[in-house]
Parts: sequence; C-alpha cells; structure tokens
Amino acid sequence: MTQALPPLLDDDQAAFICGGVSISAAACRGGGLPSMARATGCRVAADKRSITILLSATASAGLIDDVRRNGAIAVVFSLPADHRTLQFKGSDARVVPLEPGDELLAARYVDAFAGGLEPLGYPTPVIRCVLACPADDLTAISFTPSAAFLQTPGPDAGNALRSGA
Amino acid sequence: MKIKLDAIRACLDGAIPGTIATCSADGTPNMAYLSQVQYVDAGHVALSYQFFNTTRRNILANPHARVAVIEPETGAHYRLSLQYLRTEQEGPLFEKMKAKLAGIASHTGMAGVFRLLGADIYRVLDIERVPGETLPPPPPRANLLAALRASAEQLCLCTDLDSLLAQTLTCLEIHFDIHHAMVLMLDAPNARLYTVASRGYAQSGVGSEIALGDGVIGVAAREKTPIRIGHFAAEYSYTLAIRDNLQRSGLPLQLETEIPLPGLAGSRSQLAVPIRAGQRVLGILYVESPQDLRFGYDDEDALVSLAGGLGAAIQLLQHAPADAAERSASAPPAARPDPAPAAGPVLEVRHYAENDSIFLDGRYLIKGVAGAILWALLNDFAASGRTAFSNRELRLDPRIRLPDISDNLEARLILLGRRLVEHQAPIRIDKTGRGCFELRIERPLALLHTPHGG
Repeated sequence: MTQALPPLLDDDQAAFICGGVSISAAACRGGGLPSMARATGCRVAADKRSITILLSATASAGLIDDVRRNGAIAVVFSLPADHRTLQFKGSDARVVPLEPGDELLAARYVDAFAGGLEPLGYPTPVIRCVLACPADDLTAISFTPSAAFLQTPGPDAGNALRSGA
Repeated sequence: MKIKLDAIRACLDGAIPGTIATCSADGTPNMAYLSQVQYVDAGHVALSYQFFNTTRRNILANPHARVAVIEPETGAHYRLSLQYLRTEQEGPLFEKMKAKLAGIASHTGMAGVFRLLGADIYRVLDIERVPGETLPPPPPRANLLAALRASAEQLCLCTDLDSLLAQTLTCLEIHFDIHHAMVLMLDAPNARLYTVASRGYAQSGVGSEIALGDGVIGVAAREKTPIRIGHFAAEYSYTLAIRDNLQRSGLPLQLETEIPLPGLAGSRSQLAVPIRAGQRVLGILYVESPQDLRFGYDDEDALVSLAGGLGAAIQLLQHAPADAAERSASAPPAARPDPAPAAGPVLEVRHYAENDSIFLDGRYLIKGVAGAILWALLNDFAASGRTAFSNRELRLDPRIRLPDISDNLEARLILLGRRLVEHQAPIRIDKTGRGCFELRIERPLALLHTPHGG
C-alpha cells in the first residue's frame, strides 16, 4: 500500500535518531496536563514511516497511559556533543509488542549514549543508572511522524522541517 | 512522604540538562531541553526564557508544564509538575539567571546563542520521584552548618574591622575549604567597590576597584543579590569587565587599574554575596575556585548567612565606643620622644586635588578618600609634628569629604594602611587602640600639592 507523501524522515535523520542521542518523549492528558519520560533506544521502520521508542514501563507509566488515551506524542532527540536536536510529533502513537532484539538494542543504545557523553565530562555511571531498565520492564511505543522540527538552539530552533500527512 | 523542592536543589544546577514537556491548546505535546532551572523559594522555580519557541507559546496558552531533572551524583530522577505564573525581565532573579546562563552558555559552546529574555516563574504543584536505579551518594564534602557555626563563633570575638575581615578569610579557608576569596566595600556615591582584604592570590589587590554592575561582583552589589556562576563566563569575568570598561571610557580612568584586581587565572566557579546591614549593602564577599560547579545552593546559603553575620559585625564595630585613647587623641599632642627620627633622602609626596591621588617619589600609592586621609595626616604632621589621630576627628574633617555619612572610615584606613605596607613606603599608620592610630614617618617629607586643573 503506498501513501501519497514520501516518508517524513530521511536517511540521515533516521541514522541520527537511532544513534547515541538523548531521547525524551512527551504526551498530553485531557485538560492539558503534560506527561514525560526518557526513552532508552529507538528504531525506525524500513520504510521510514514509523518511529519506535523503547522505554521503562514503570518509569513511563503516566506517559503510556496518556498515549493509550489519545495517541498524541512528541519525541525529541538531541546529541550532547553538538546540540543537534530534532523533534518528531505524531497523533497515532500506540504501545506495541517488543520485537526480538529490542533488549539488545536498548543495551547498545545505553553504551552509545554514555560513550558519547564521557569525553564531554558528564558522569556516565549516573547516565547509565538513569537509563537502566530491567528486561521485563522494557516496553515500546510506535508512531507515524507527522511533523518534524529542528530544535538545535539558535535562531532556527522550532522551525518545522516539513509537515507530513 | 512529599518531596520538598529544597531537598532536590542539587538537581537544579544544570550538571545534567533538564527537559520540559508542555501541551498546546489543542492538546499537542511538546518536549524541549532546558538550560536552566532556578530555585526561587520552597514553592517556586524559574525557567530561562531565551527564544520565543513552542514551549513559550504553549505555556502562554496552557500554564501546565512538567519538568524532569536528574541529581548529578546519584542519578535520582524527578519530575516536577509546574504551573506558569509570570515572567520577570529585570531585577535580582533575572540578573542571577542571566549570569548563570552566561556560564552555562560559555561551558556548552553556546555563548552568543543563549540570551536571557526573561525569568519565567512557575509554582511547583508536585514533585514525583521517577522509579529507577540510583548510585549511592558520595560522602559529603563538608558539613556547612558546622562550618558556619564555627565561623560565627570566631567572628564574634573580633574587636576591629581589620581582624574581622582577616578572620572571615581564615574561616573560609579552614572551615569551608575555600582558598580564593576577597572582601570589597561599597563606595555608594561613587558607584564603585574597593578591595579591602583578600586571600589566596599572588597579589593582594587591596585598593583595586570595580564599578557597580561590572562582573559577578558588580552585579551582585547592584542587584543586592548573590550571583553564582558554575563555569567560566567571559562577560562576567571581572578582570575582563574592567578592561572593557576602560576601553569604553578612555584614559581618565587609568588610575583604577594601577592596582590590578586579584583574580584566579583559571577561575571556573564564582560566587559573590552581598554583605548587608539591614537593607543597605556594605560590600561583597567574593569567592572563586578553579573547579567547575564548585559552589552549589547550599554553599550559597552558607555564605549568605556568613555574610549576614559579617555585615552585622561591621555595623556594630562601626558604632562601638572608641578607646580612651581616641578621646585624648584629639587633644593637643603630648610632647613625646621620637623613637626613630626621620632620616635618609627626602621622600616626595605629591597630591593631586582632582582625585585625591597620592604619588610617592612618582609612584602611585592611593586615591580617593584614602588619599585625602593620608594628605590630611601628612599636612598635620608637617605643620605641628602631630602623629596621634582618631577616627572620630577624621570623620568630621572637612578636608576628607567622606562620600556618605555611613561610609566605613575604618575600611578606608585599612586600605590605606595595607597600601603603605605593600608599597614599602617609609610612612605607616599603626593602630594604637580602637578608633585611634599613630602616624609613623621614617624619612623627611616634601609635600607637593597639585590643585584642580594643575
């Protein structure tokens, strides 16, 4: 089945968000109360039409609850070394089953992220602690990115890269 | 147990950047990084407003926000539920955040990009501890309360300003493990601060000056609030501030840099705390360190308390009754044997009325009130051989023109005394009791006066 628009993500962006970047997600409850959680890994579908983030179900309980209610999500990806930051939003977010290899993906993500922080002088054992997630607590949320924003600090921050369907 | 904001302030110093989640009016979430979460009081935080971005649009439409912060040593992760109240675009909180942001910007390569437009004040509705692993906290560096108590007890015993300032600097070293510190007094009418005591620098810098509003010290004095920076920030570096100020104003200020401000070449953490007596700022207690993020909220609290005691003590000493010697000092001097008559080559003492600057054999010594004091003392000595003087008569002496009735004359005398010692001048002022001192002249003097425009 083909869609009218090309995928919102390009190859470079897909590689960026699957690398050693900081990942945080936000959702929204009726009444305008935001919820938030840190993610511990990301994968992009082969057709680049969906993004899946991995999270600790316990630490993300509020966000998961809100996603289940209305599907709205915003996920920001930022590389500490140069502050390059991208945000993707979607309205069809849902909790999906883990795929084989997700546990390994989460472990590799923590290594990549902590490894990138070490030369910057960040306390990496602390970062590992924050991102630690027992295997049986790992969960996944998928969404179709419908809007992308450049958020690298500076005058262009907040500019929409392109709006999807 | 409800988590108190006071208990998690270590999360707010920006070692690990926080994040903020907001929702637009139509319920679209947004996530952004925060460069700064500032503790305001037990129920409020302030976030830096730097760009008109989605977060900004969202909180103006929907005041609810959630902020995640991480304790940098243990990894304890907290989420704060916040309600936006208002934005401040000037004043002490704004200046505090602006200075801190300058340090963060410089540290993260964002100097010139980060600019504080406002301090957004939020009410803290709730604090949630996010479940997860943590590391054991490192052993505490020092017990700041114990340090404060020990210092307070020692400062109480000081009977004059000179020993009070010296003891304060000693207490910082011994009890607080702070090895680079200075005390500056405020000359309010001239909008300047002058250094009266310092510790931990190659040059004492006593007598060096900084303009109100310049650097960490000048901003703290102008805003009457502590200013704390955790990383080097060029725009708040007082040595650079002085240089820029000079470049702006040209040559007439030249004397201001004759005595360089002491300073740590690799200073990374800086904290300037106002020394107050009631609402009035008397001066600044300034500390610095070559370590990043050396001074936290607790250190700031401790030094604010220490400076509070120091301010009260300065005020008390200023109004303390003088020794009997002061009362007799105003009487005509008793004929006394001169223990060491002035000998050797004549010392040329030149006084410029324009700024009360004094040069000894062509070398700059001092200016301003301290210069006027020395000139009056030397003239009295030349006229009558008088050597015994009292603070009280100087305070009333029309030749000295204290800028302000509340001016701390004793601080000016400490400054003058130190400068004479550091200059190795053959002129000294020796304290002979509370509120009185003696002039000691070791060489014959030639007093030369250059009037205004001379």
